Amino acid sequence: MERIVEHPLLKFERGEKIVFYFEDVQMQAYEGETIAAALHANGVRMLRITPKGSRPQGLFCAIGKCSSCLMEVDGKANVRTCITPVKEGMRVRTQKGRGEKSE
Amino acid sequence: MNNPDLLVLGGGPAGLCGAIEAAREGLRVLVVDEGISPGGQLVKQTHKFFGNENFYASTRGMEIAGKLLKELSLYPQVILACESSVLAVYPDGVPVLDRRSDSTYLYNPTRLLVATGASEKFLQFDNNDLPGVYGAGAVQTLMNQFGILPGKSVLMIGSGNIGLIVSYQLDQAGVEVKAILEASSRIGGYRVHADKVKRLGIPVLLNHTILKAIGEKSVNGALITALDERWRPVPGTEREMVIDTVCIAVGLTPSAELVAQAGGQLKYIPELGGYVPLHDSDMRTTIDRVFVAGDVSGIEEATTAMIEGRIAGLNIVKDIKGKCNETRLEELKETLSAFRSGPTSSKIRSGLEKMDLVTQPARYVEGEVNRSGEFRGKLRPIIECFEAIPCNPCETSCPVGAITVGENINDVPVIDYSRCTGCGVCATKCPGLAIFMYQEREDGMALVGIPYEFLPVPEKGQSVYATGRSGEVLCTARVDRVTRSANKTNIVYLTVPEELGRDVRHIHVTNREESSLICRCEEITVEQVKKAIREGYVDFEELRRYLRVSMGPCGGRTCRLNTLMILSGETGVPVEKLSPGTLRPPAIPVSFGAIERNAKVTHE
Repeated sequence: MERIVEHPLLKFERGEKIVFYFEDVQMQAYEGETIAAALHANGVRMLRITPKGSRPQGLFCAIGKCSSCLMEVDGKANVRTCITPVKEGMRVRTQKGRGEKSE
Repeated sequence: MNNPDLLVLGGGPAGLCGAIEAAREGLRVLVVDEGISPGGQLVKQTHKFFGNENFYASTRGMEIAGKLLKELSLYPQVILACESSVLAVYPDGVPVLDRRSDSTYLYNPTRLLVATGASEKFLQFDNNDLPGVYGAGAVQTLMNQFGILPGKSVLMIGSGNIGLIVSYQLDQAGVEVKAILEASSRIGGYRVHADKVKRLGIPVLLNHTILKAIGEKSVNGALITALDERWRPVPGTEREMVIDTVCIAVGLTPSAELVAQAGGQLKYIPELGGYVPLHDSDMRTTIDRVFVAGDVSGIEEATTAMIEGRIAGLNIVKDIKGKCNETRLEELKETLSAFRSGPTSSKIRSGLEKMDLVTQPARYVEGEVNRSGEFRGKLRPIIECFEAIPCNPCETSCPVGAITVGENINDVPVIDYSRCTGCGVCATKCPGLAIFMYQEREDGMALVGIPYEFLPVPEKGQSVYATGRSGEVLCTARVDRVTRSANKTNIVYLTVPEELGRDVRHIHVTNREESSLICRCEEITVEQVKKAIREGYVDFEELRRYLRVSMGPCGGRTCRLNTLMILSGETGVPVEKLSPGTLRPPAIPVSFGAIERNAKVTHE
């Protein structure tokens, strides 16, 4: 999963470069992106582990409708990462279950 | 703004248009949207819209969003709030969560316009929740809004307009689409969209579906199967495909929950995507103060969503101010009916009839549109738009009025070649990329102009593969010229043998071969050979002496034919008419010493 550099129709005007953390690993993003988009750009597709079957799940609708992208963001669980902007220094974790604290 | 005149739920095409109509008449309007930026799904639609140029046809969806937002910003009494989610609609107010401050506000608007759009339908197969299985909208969001590739190799499920459009967009972004699976026996979307993806060489497998997404933490394959006429898997036809992304494009369903909470009656109407709020032709639901517009009122498309939004907006103005521009309202309703009167809207019409909204189908012309034979030798457009769809930018863009769609916007265009000047504007405007330029030449070759929205854009004089309607390579061809267009639909003109002119519909530009070797012995590259040909060395023997191609120890066994094929491709002269050069001794490498020494014994 990489960023598009050249496109026949689109010019991507990306915001300021920022850093955020996924499972304590530092990653790069651009201001104005959603958390889920930034994770994808960094090769992360698995966003949560389901409560019952412990199934890995990721982005499905990307517009805030399906709740498949719920993650723990800055200690707060059940954040719809597909419609939440990534911010400098943000700490993002895979959500396990219904949002029980990971640590 | 605690009590706006109008609260609009959703800042997509329908909501923005409704807000604009209300704001124009001075109403105080609050638009709330869940997304991080407004525009709804328009912002990721990179294709040119069908329809009528008065309603943004031939404009790319993302540009329409910008135009609507700019128009709305003219009105100071309008507030547009993003990252704001409506939690419920209660009799005593509408609580809206501002996600930035994580707090709620309660609004009591005089009128409510619900324009909440739709959500993706979810398809049932094993492991359908594995990361890497996306709805088509998610793929568009990642790719077109954020510029992030969803994967490298995609299996598309569903051949409706969305499946076809997203496949095309994936290819534009450089992602391989391995196949499009369609459970039924015919392609669901518009024929022009299907033609666009077929000529890229993307196979559409009819009567096929996915059984399973393969992978542990992320997709790395899929199991697919053929289906019989009753959509049951045919045993023994299962096969695995190596892909890293599954994209589901099997339709949308209205997001009608807030209408239901407001007390509006829903009805299950499968033709419109599921549970739909009952509404009249003014877009009013069964609750007086609640209106709907766009996909929430029944799945259709963005152009009708914008018209519905405007109709709702005008009616809201009428409710609050006692009057509205009735002429405009009637015109909008007529435009909407005309839009829906063609054969591709028959499903929508039967769905709307279930809530007593009757649209008469119109008579329309379908079929052969090109009678260009008598204009042999004239540069002219070949229009391959055979299906009656609601669209007319070819007509409205033609500077000399040579193209007529006619009374009904669904009619296929007819061209008067005697008036056509061959300017090619129609080919750049056509949202279906279904117009090609064509001219027979006197030397047995033909000039074909192809609408091209890919990278790299070839240069004049460059050699490319000319491909046919299924993406098959027909010949190599020289680029005659490229006309760049402001809307980024460039036209690439190629010279091809005339007998192929009616079949060449796309090009394949590849730079990979340029550094690859053609002559192993002398290490001559394809690019060197092509360069020499362009310099004027158009005979095999000349090339050989100039480059030493075929002069090495193998004697040309490995490279002679390949060199001749490049020469043929670059010059247009068939291989059989080229001289293969002289086949000189020695046939194999041999030392002078061996020749000088007489063998003691002869072969026996």
